[in-house]
Amino acid sequence: MEDGSNRRLFVVWLILVAISLVYLWIDHSATHQGIPTASTVVTVVAICFALIKVRIIMREFMEVRGAPPVLRRLTDYWVLLMAVALFGAYFAGRAVA
Amino acid sequence: MTTTERDVSPVSEERPSQRVPGGRDIWVFVLFESAIFTSYFCVYLFNRTQHEQVFLLGQSHLLLWLGVLETIVLLTSSWAVARCVQHARAGRYDASTRDAFLTAGLGVLFLVLKVAEWVRLIHAGHTFTSSEFFQYFFFLTVIHCIHLLIGFVVLGVLWYQLSDQERRSQQTVETCATYWHSVDFFWVVIFALLYVVR
Repeated sequence: MEDGSNRRLFVVWLILVAISLVYLWIDHSATHQGIPTASTVVTVVAICFALIKVRIIMREFMEVRGAPPVLRRLTDYWVLLMAVALFGAYFAGRAVA
Repeated sequence: MTTTERDVSPVSEERPSQRVPGGRDIWVFVLFESAIFTSYFCVYLFNRTQHEQVFLLGQSHLLLWLGVLETIVLLTSSWAVARCVQHARAGRYDASTRDAFLTAGLGVLFLVLKVAEWVRLIHAGHTFTSSEFFQYFFFLTVIHCIHLLIGFVVLGVLWYQLSDQERRSQQTVETCATYWHSVDFFWVVIFALLYVVR
């Protein structure tokens, strides 16, 4: 049981690190001759990856996975709410820019 | 919390599914804090779209690899404190204490990297007043580091709890870990917004 739990935490950590490293490739794709270029796709993907990481941290590291259903739902809705707020602010800004 | 309410004995390795990890209060705090941070992020994203070139130019002075390294360091500290909770739950307090120290060490490493990054940027002429991007950069990174410093106090409480059999409370251990994880996930979003979004 102990080994299983530790192995799971290790795999979760590996996934989180892998997603972090993907940012290097995303950044490379949105940089032209050393100067960052505007990209809605990169912005959306970067925010989605960040929120996926937040959910993984909550579920696995913060042990929400084994918590009462009310906390599981609350944290899921919270991440969703963060997504709506962030994308809402970004796209509202794009619309009036 | 009174002494009688504390769970001073090692609890079973599998946490009962009907118990909130760390208790309700810390979750109210974490969700409240994340709402405040999200409001900062929304203002940042909105303003970014209004002055896109200024933000892109500011962003070009950041070292992405350093941001990724800082993220990995903080993720590793989160992993260490998650292990700390599991060891404490199983009654392996020596291993738990080791992981608590590892967490604090990685927190210090993050702080050193962050201060080095601030010094590099300030020497290059990028300060709080030099551009709108750097106003947000310094505001968000400094306020995050204040949370990190509070995290060291929380880890001190964690170590204090683990160091004496009479004081050990699994719930307090989980509460401290929950706070530290929240510092980690705030950074995960801050990193994406400051270093990666375009």
